[in-house]
Amino acid sequence: MEMQGYNMPEDLYYEENHFWVKEEGDLLVMGMDDFAQVMAGEIVYVQLPDDGKEIKKGKKFAKIESGKWLGKVFAPVNGKIAGVNEELETHPGLINDDCYGKGWMYKIQPDDKGEMETLIHGKEAIEKWLAAEIEKYAEGE
Amino acid sequence: MTSNYEFEKEFREQILRCSRCGFCQAVCPVFGATLRPALNARGKMLILKEVMDGKLDLNDELIETLFQCTTCATCYKNCPSGVNVPEIIKLARKDMVRAGSCHPAFKGMNEVLDKHTNIYAEGEPEDFEREKNRQAENVYFVGCVGLYREDESTSATLDLLDRLKVDYTLIDEVCCSGVLEDVGYPIKDHLARKNIEGILATGARTVITGCPYCSRTFNNKPQYAELREKGIRIIHITQFLQGVDFGVQTDKRVTYHDPCDLGRHCGIYEEPRNTIRKIAPNFVEMADNRENALCCGAGGGVRGAYAKNSIAMARRRLDQAEAVGAEIILTECNSCVHNLANAKLRKQKFKIYNTTQFINELMEAAE
Repeated sequence: MEMQGYNMPEDLYYEENHFWVKEEGDLLVMGMDDFAQVMAGEIVYVQLPDDGKEIKKGKKFAKIESGKWLGKVFAPVNGKIAGVNEELETHPGLINDDCYGKGWMYKIQPDDKGEMETLIHGKEAIEKWLAAEIEKYAEGE
Repeated sequence: MTSNYEFEKEFREQILRCSRCGFCQAVCPVFGATLRPALNARGKMLILKEVMDGKLDLNDELIETLFQCTTCATCYKNCPSGVNVPEIIKLARKDMVRAGSCHPAFKGMNEVLDKHTNIYAEGEPEDFEREKNRQAENVYFVGCVGLYREDESTSATLDLLDRLKVDYTLIDEVCCSGVLEDVGYPIKDHLARKNIEGILATGARTVITGCPYCSRTFNNKPQYAELREKGIRIIHITQFLQGVDFGVQTDKRVTYHDPCDLGRHCGIYEEPRNTIRKIAPNFVEMADNRENALCCGAGGGVRGAYAKNSIAMARRRLDQAEAVGAEIILTECNSCVHNLANAKLRKQKFKIYNTTQFINELMEAAE
């Protein structure tokens, strides 16, 4: 789904700080959405926690950086890190090139997959949220 | 004919003195990461000679080479002709800015410091749960990177000062803005004034800085002359802590990374080593150390403007730490900690700390 120039697939679930989530077997995969990667500019560093690290929904568990910007990565659900995209260690720009594909960031073993339903999902909800976000960031400039 | 360029007025003779021997190329961290001759000191001196000869203009075409230098000064220390490349580059950058050509990251940084109190344009920093601006013997001045990027290290440093019962206070500090002098702009007078007033209001006789660049700025720049004239001593935390008996040791294999701003620019090599040897008998030097230490790649604005190359430079430094089997890399600069930590690969199991943070961890474990 294209919204005001941003690619926001409507089959994904979104954490409010612009991280997408989707199911992959028993695990969840997450990454940064198109709006966030455009706003951040060229990503130069992604913190890749060790497997097994416990994450708590809504809490910061990693850092991400572009030139002078430092972002926090927030957990979309409760669970554990079950894998990271090691390609990002040497090619963090994959997030800019292909944020929904080769630029995926983490795999999560969720405590309860049902928590996905608390994330932003569905065409209408995504559109409403993104429109508000675009307005919010435009005001901040 | 008088030159239009300040770099030529001040450094023409030095630039012509460059014999193109290439000693600088062997030690330049930017060349080491990019293998591009135009980016090392010799290449830059050749380009500036062309500018002096009227064959090139200072324009946007030269941004990539003149603004891609960490000002680490390894070239200067190794130059048989004594060409002070970092000072030449800094003045040429000011000429570039006057000519209307500047890397957008640095133009942005200058604008940010007109509106904000830190280089990251961020809001209120951590207060580290300590009362600020109180009367004390010492001011601990953190610096932007320690406030906004390496706050865990700063918090540990403050814990260490508390353990040692040091009488210090934090202040509502703002960016010292010394970094602007490296990237083509002058220090902001209003920021310097706020820091000076904040420091003087505490009655402190000593300012301890967590950042070696802030220390250089306070000690050397005319905008901060009032501190010196009023007898305020400005030292880096490594100088403050030398001589302290911490009563703890580690058996881990520890190495030390010399920050350029503390080492080559201030000549402070032994103070941190004296401290580290006390706490780490299994101390080992990297192949390049002291005056020849390899730069981490963060200085001179390169981390902000050429982040990928900056991290590539840090990886080269980490390779040297790996080669000596270090389990712990200590340094004395939050920018170095930040860049080295960003560059560390998951397979590399060593840890990177400011010395203060590591000592605090040892003391905490011993309690």
